[in-house]
This record gives sequence, C-alpha cells and structure tokens, in this order.
Amino acid sequence: MQVLDFDVVVLGSGIAGMTSAIHAELESSEKLRIALVSKIHAMRSHSVAAEGGISGVLYPTENKDSEQLHAYDTIKGSDYLADQDAVEMLVRNAPNEIKFFEHLGVPWNRNEDGRINERAFGGMSVPRTAFAADKTGFFMMRALYDELTLHKGVEIFHEHIVTSLIINKGKFLGVHALDIATGESKLIRAGACVIATGGFSRVYDFTTTSYSSTGDGIALAYRSGLPLKDMEFVQFHPTALVPSGILISEAARGEGAHLTNADGKRFMETYAKSKMELAPRDIVSRAIVTEIQKGRGFSDRLSGLDYVHLDLMHLDQKLIDERLPMISDISKKMLGIDPAKEPLPVRPAAHFTMGGIHTNIHGNIMLGSGPRHATGLWAAGECACVSVHGSNRLGSNSLSQCAVWGRIVGKAVAKHVAQNRTRQSNFATDRAWEEERRIEEMLSGDGGEDPYALLAELQGAMGKYLYVYREMASMAHAKKIISGIRSRFSRVYIKDKKRLYNTNLRDALEIGSMIDLGMLVAECASRRTESRGAHAVREYPDRDDKRWLKHTLVQKGMAGNRIGYIPVKITRWKPQPRVY
Amino acid sequence: MRASRFMVLLYASLIGVPILLYLRLISTLYGAYLVSDILLALSAVGLIIFGAIGFMEVYVHKAHKIADVSMQTNEPAMSASHAEMARRGTKIVNISVSRFDNESKSMRREAYRVEADKNTTVLGALLSIKSEKDPTLAIRYSCRMGICGSCGMVVNGKPALACETNVFEKMADGEITVEPMYGHPLLKDLVTDFDDFFERHISVQPGLHRADKAEKYSAKEPYKLSREDIDKFLPYSYCIMCGLCLDACPVVNSNPNFVGPQALSQVYRYHADKADQKGIKRLLEVDTLDGVWGCEFAGACSKVCPKGVDPAGAIQLLKGELMENVANEEKK
Repeated sequence: MQVLDFDVVVLGSGIAGMTSAIHAELESSEKLRIALVSKIHAMRSHSVAAEGGISGVLYPTENKDSEQLHAYDTIKGSDYLADQDAVEMLVRNAPNEIKFFEHLGVPWNRNEDGRINERAFGGMSVPRTAFAADKTGFFMMRALYDELTLHKGVEIFHEHIVTSLIINKGKFLGVHALDIATGESKLIRAGACVIATGGFSRVYDFTTTSYSSTGDGIALAYRSGLPLKDMEFVQFHPTALVPSGILISEAARGEGAHLTNADGKRFMETYAKSKMELAPRDIVSRAIVTEIQKGRGFSDRLSGLDYVHLDLMHLDQKLIDERLPMISDISKKMLGIDPAKEPLPVRPAAHFTMGGIHTNIHGNIMLGSGPRHATGLWAAGECACVSVHGSNRLGSNSLSQCAVWGRIVGKAVAKHVAQNRTRQSNFATDRAWEEERRIEEMLSGDGGEDPYALLAELQGAMGKYLYVYREMASMAHAKKIISGIRSRFSRVYIKDKKRLYNTNLRDALEIGSMIDLGMLVAECASRRTESRGAHAVREYPDRDDKRWLKHTLVQKGMAGNRIGYIPVKITRWKPQPRVY
Repeated sequence: MRASRFMVLLYASLIGVPILLYLRLISTLYGAYLVSDILLALSAVGLIIFGAIGFMEVYVHKAHKIADVSMQTNEPAMSASHAEMARRGTKIVNISVSRFDNESKSMRREAYRVEADKNTTVLGALLSIKSEKDPTLAIRYSCRMGICGSCGMVVNGKPALACETNVFEKMADGEITVEPMYGHPLLKDLVTDFDDFFERHISVQPGLHRADKAEKYSAKEPYKLSREDIDKFLPYSYCIMCGLCLDACPVVNSNPNFVGPQALSQVYRYHADKADQKGIKRLLEVDTLDGVWGCEFAGACSKVCPKGVDPAGAIQLLKGELMENVANEEKK
C-alpha cells in the first residue's frame, strides 16, 4: 500500500473543497502540501450543475438592501431552525466572496454601467443573487480549477474514492482511499482534513443532482461515530424536468416564469399570495404536489410521472438567451421542447440535503452534543450542517455557504497545521490495512445481493414515503424497509472482480453510504412530530416551537443510533408565523 | 460462483459422512461407542442445518438473482411484447459497445438490446445495461446534463457527450455503436485516461494573472468590465474539458507534441480577458511549432465541441495577435 504524507487533505473538489484548498494555500504563503482528493475528475464535481446564482448584498443603497434583511429572509426561509449567528456570518461574508470569484475570472453578468447584476430569487425580499447566465456553478468551478493549477502546493488526486476516515481518540490521522483507475489502496496521512463531499440527494430516484451526490463524506463521518445534524430535512426543488429530473433553475421564475396547472391557472395565488412563484422552495413544492393530488396536474405517459407546467413563453427571447441559455438548450436537447414556445413539464425533485455533519460556526466537526470538537477535522459545503439553512434553504444561499465556509475552514486548517506537529504512529497504517482487507473481502465475496437492485429499492422507498409530504405510518414503514435493505447489503455481490477502473465496486461503496444515510433520514424524520420547512407531516401540519425548536443530532451507537437534540441559536429574530 | 457455499457443503458431506461412518466402525472395534456416536450425531445435525441455509440462500432468497443472471445473455431487459411496447411508446434498440480489457490490451464488441423511449439518451441506455445486464461495464459519467464533461465518447463514429445524444435520433443509422475516444489512452471499456489531457491544459498556465497578487486575492473592488469586455472571452469560457476536441483533432493524433485545441482555446480565453495582465507573455509561450503554429485549421475541434466553443477560431485569433505583435515590434 502506498503511504502518502501531506499537511492537509481535502476530500471533495466542489466549490467548498477547492475554495478551502486555495485559502489554506494562501494563508500559509504557499508553504503547505495539500492533497485534494476527488472521487471523480476534480473539475466535474456536482457544483458545476448549480445554475441560478450566488446570494450576497453587493449594492445595499441601489437595491434598498441590507445584510440584516438577507439574514431575516434566510432565517424566515429556514422556518426558524437556522442558527442565527451562523446566518449573520454568511450574510456578512457573502458579498466579498462574489468579488473574490470575480477576481478569479468568473464572468458575472453586468448591467449597462458595468456593475454586477443581481436577480430575484425565492424567499428573498429584493434581488440579491449574482449570476453568470444560468451556469453560475460551472463558471465558479472552472475558475477554481484553473486557479488551483497555479498553486503548486496542491496535488490533485482525481478519481480516488475515500473509504474510511482514520481517527484516534478524536484526532484526525489520515484517510484510506481507493485509486479507481488502478484499484490500489492508498493511505493518505495528514495533520488536518476538510470534508467537502457534498450532499446525498441521490438517495432519491427523482433528483436534480449528479450521479456523484451520494453523501460519502457524511456516511464516513457517521461510521466514525461523529454526530450528524438535522438529517430529516431534504429540500425538494419545485421545478425539475420530467422525466429526467434535470434542474430548471429557480432563476426561470426569478426572471418571470409562471407555474400553471391543468386549468391554466397560476395556482401559487392560493398558496403564497404575496410571493407567488417566488415563495421558498418547500412551499412551492407542497403547492405543486397538492395541485397534482387534487387532479389538476398533467401525466407523462412514458414515465408515469405527474407534473405541472412552467411557462416561460411570455419572456423576451433576448432575456432567455442572455440569462437562461442553458435551461433553454437542455429543454430542446432532452425533450425537444423550446421553452419560448411551449411550457415545460416540471415536478419537485430531491435537490439539497440541509442535514449533514454537525459542525460549529467555524466549521470544526463536533464530537457530540457538547462544545468539544474533533482535532484536525473540518467540514464545509453541503455535507456540513452549520446550520445556515435550518429546515429549508433559500435558493442561491448554497453557493455563498460553500464560498464562505470554504474560506473559513481553509484558513483554519492552515493555522492548525502551522501550530501542531503531527507524529505518525502505526495506528493509521494498521487501520488502512484493515480497510484494504474489508475492500478485498467485499470484492471477493459471493453473496447474492445485486447492489443496483438494493439502490432501486432504497430510492423507491425514499421517493414514496419520505417525499414532500410525509405520514407517521409511512415513515415507520420506510424505516423497516431500509433496515431490511441494509442487512441485505452485507451480502452485496460485486460481479467485476478486477481492480482496474472497477465502477461496480465504486457503485457498491456509494450505495452502502446511501443506504446508511437513507436510514438516518427515515429515523430522524419519524421522530419529529411537527411540520417545519421541508419536513411536512400530514398528522402534524403545524410548526411546534414549544417542543421542536431544536436540532436533531444522530450518532452511531454500540446498538443502533442514538438520537438527541440541541437548541437553536437565536440572536435577534424571534420565531414568528411564516406567511408569504 | 453464487452457488459455491452450497456446493462446498454438498461436497463436504459427500466426503465427510463416509469418513465419520468409517471412524464409527473403527471406534466400535475399540469399544468407544459413546464418543463416536456423539461426534456422528453432531456432525449430521450441523450438516443438515448448514445445508439447509445454503440451499435457502441459493434457491429461495436468491430466486430473483438467478433471473438477473439469465438476463446477461443480452436479451431485452423487458419481456414486454411488441404491442405492449408500442402502447408504451418504447422500442428495442441494438447497441454495440466496445469493451477494452487493459490486462490483455484487447478490444471486443458486445451487443446489447435495450428498451428505449423517445427521451432515452445513450448514457441512459449504457447505465441501464450496467445496472441490469452487465455491471462490469466501465463508463465515466456524472451530471447527465451536459455540463460536467465526463461522458465524452464516440457514438456512431462521431465524438459526442453520451448524455446529450438521443438514442432514437441515432437509431436512424441502424445499430448504435459506442466506442471510447481513441485520441486518449484507453483505461477500460469506454473510459479513457485524462492525465495527458489535463497536463496539456495545465501547461499553458490557465488562470487569471494579475501583477499584484495581494490585490487579486483581497478582491476589494470588482474589475471594471463592460458587457462588451466580457463578450470577448465568454464564448471560450464555456469549455467543459470533455476532451472531444482533442479526440477529433487530426494534428494532435499524429503529432502528440502539439499542445492541442483545448489548451490553446484556453490561452485565448484568458488573453481576451481585459482583467488578465499576463499580456504578450501568454502568447509568446505558444508561439511555437507545437503551439499555435502546429494547427492546420482542419476545424474538427470546433465541429465536435458540444458547448459551441470554437477552438479552431481561437487558434487563428491567437495567430493574428502574434503577427500583429511582430509587426508592432518591427515598427519600434
């Protein structure tokens, strides 16, 4: 086994991961050796699929905006589950990050006087979302990757999947990774680690996310006994294209697109009179599902999926070309529909996982419900639950979260490594060899369980029982089904026995992660007997601040999972009824 | 393979039972009845239990697995009748996939039959082959919406992104053939090695260059750029690094030292950016026979680019800029 020593190892190459690597490098005056480990080619992480934009108050006077207003919108959008100190940190730093990315070369859309344009987004009181057409994430990723190539201290490990974190008594020592191209095991030892591996929306079949959004980093943390937070909250984006699930950005509605039902009516009138189509995503998704259930939707014969219409036909062609070119292109290529001439078929799809690794406001991964955090271990981006999004994220706050906490943890790891010397013991090597044996056993095992069949069953249960609306009995049922899937996974059969570029093995590893995470969603969701943000329970339609204004923490115990709760940090905004 | 545990037990009992019976016979001769009887009874019970578990695993719990195995004869995944498929709006498509084996360095073609509908993409079809028929098939993919650049391959002889290629459209040519991009080293099946491709990109030092690094990273004020300024480099910034242009380029395939269309298009992207301060130095680095002057303007790169980047055009613009620079130098 190859043993590699670095100062810092960053897991994940999305916006949060690459940003943290760059800031660690800058903070240390380019003295650190940083390993950036990506299970795919680094520039292809799911962040490339972010479309609509990045939030941040750039022009408070001109737009009649303020950081306080951005914070209030975010907290109200979160249904008051966001930690308000973290939200204040987000809104304070977001504008600088937009400028930082501009200096790396992101072509932000400009207005006539050369100022960065901002567009309207769901749940935001005023336009405050900067954008680069409808490919914002892509441009940010390309700028980051090109910038990284200028930093010689960062070594990129493309197509290496990390299968285990090596932690001893709360101290990070290294990771075991599998080089997908060769199939070889590698032990990467480092004094500090940033987990930035993204969310796990792929536990759902109908999702906007890339095939890579399988939540590996969150599952690794969970298996290492680290606590996860608010796992029950999964965001369903209202407008995913039927049948592929490809995202049609909220920017479409921000630029004026309408949602209409089979009667041709703009039904959002009934659900959010003041905000209409630009209500937060949880509300619009519930509205669409309700319309469909009341028989006012359409049905796709081929896929069996029901949908409503997203109507862009009244928008100016020039505006579509300049501000929404990708969704127009995708609709034409994938469905043969020109959105300027025909409405698009859309329905809610799993899009973002609010829950994730429990961190404090500085991005340190916590050890439990108390104030102690792990040594040398940080998380940033979607895999981390800081929490700035609470129970429902506002559109365009995710890119700012990735950029803001990418910088915070990047600087923190550099400082940590400068102050702490790592002494290597045999512990990491022993653990890595154990891991290699586990992989070898998995590979040579002849159990009969087809991983793809297990994934299909998991996704079926998640989509059926843990979708936009949830019921107590169905959540309990989901728990039972997933528990069965999990025990069957121990007999997973990998047909490809060769080590070289074995995607069958990689898929099985990812599916293992997804099964664990799906189980946690079901367990945490079935406990929360209220409706808050993205978690809507039929039997408990109201928010219950008395009993449930708290974060869920879940940790792997000796026998089953331990679920506990910690309070929400409230600074200035007392919980109020959430009406739009 | 699946039946191995059951078979081991079967063989073990075939060999084990006679041995135990023989032991029983021997021990009878020496009068140790009790020990040998207990041994025999325990072994018999053990064999029955394990045998039953093995039998259940193979023939009862795994009944559906066996059905999966039989599908690997590459018959249609769905046993739907033609009438049923017509009602659903689906058709059976023949897909011939190149399978490269790295150990033997050999290539073979494998034909699959897949049920597809009007929305099925080549990537979708390949993924259904992988999950339903042959999990050993290697493909590189991720976003399935044409923005991550993973799934470049050669479909019916033309370099394309599998996720943006519609199966029914390609069916017009008869059978669909899917091959890896031969312009890159092969890894396995449809997956090629991108190390060389990334090296080319890095070799031209992409990334916005500013004379004052502290100013660049502190990012106090946005650069002063107008819409027109941005439009100059925007078309070249759409590159998703899928590698199709390199695969299509006849020059780079005969002279590997040629930097290639992707990297050169990125030189132009940064050169055309008003905020970039590397200036003429960026151009002079590619003012070589294996740089811009290696391009013979076949234009294949621009033709295959799925994102409308025009690398061939970018390279000619770079040549023009260099000529202008020479003229300016001479004037001085």
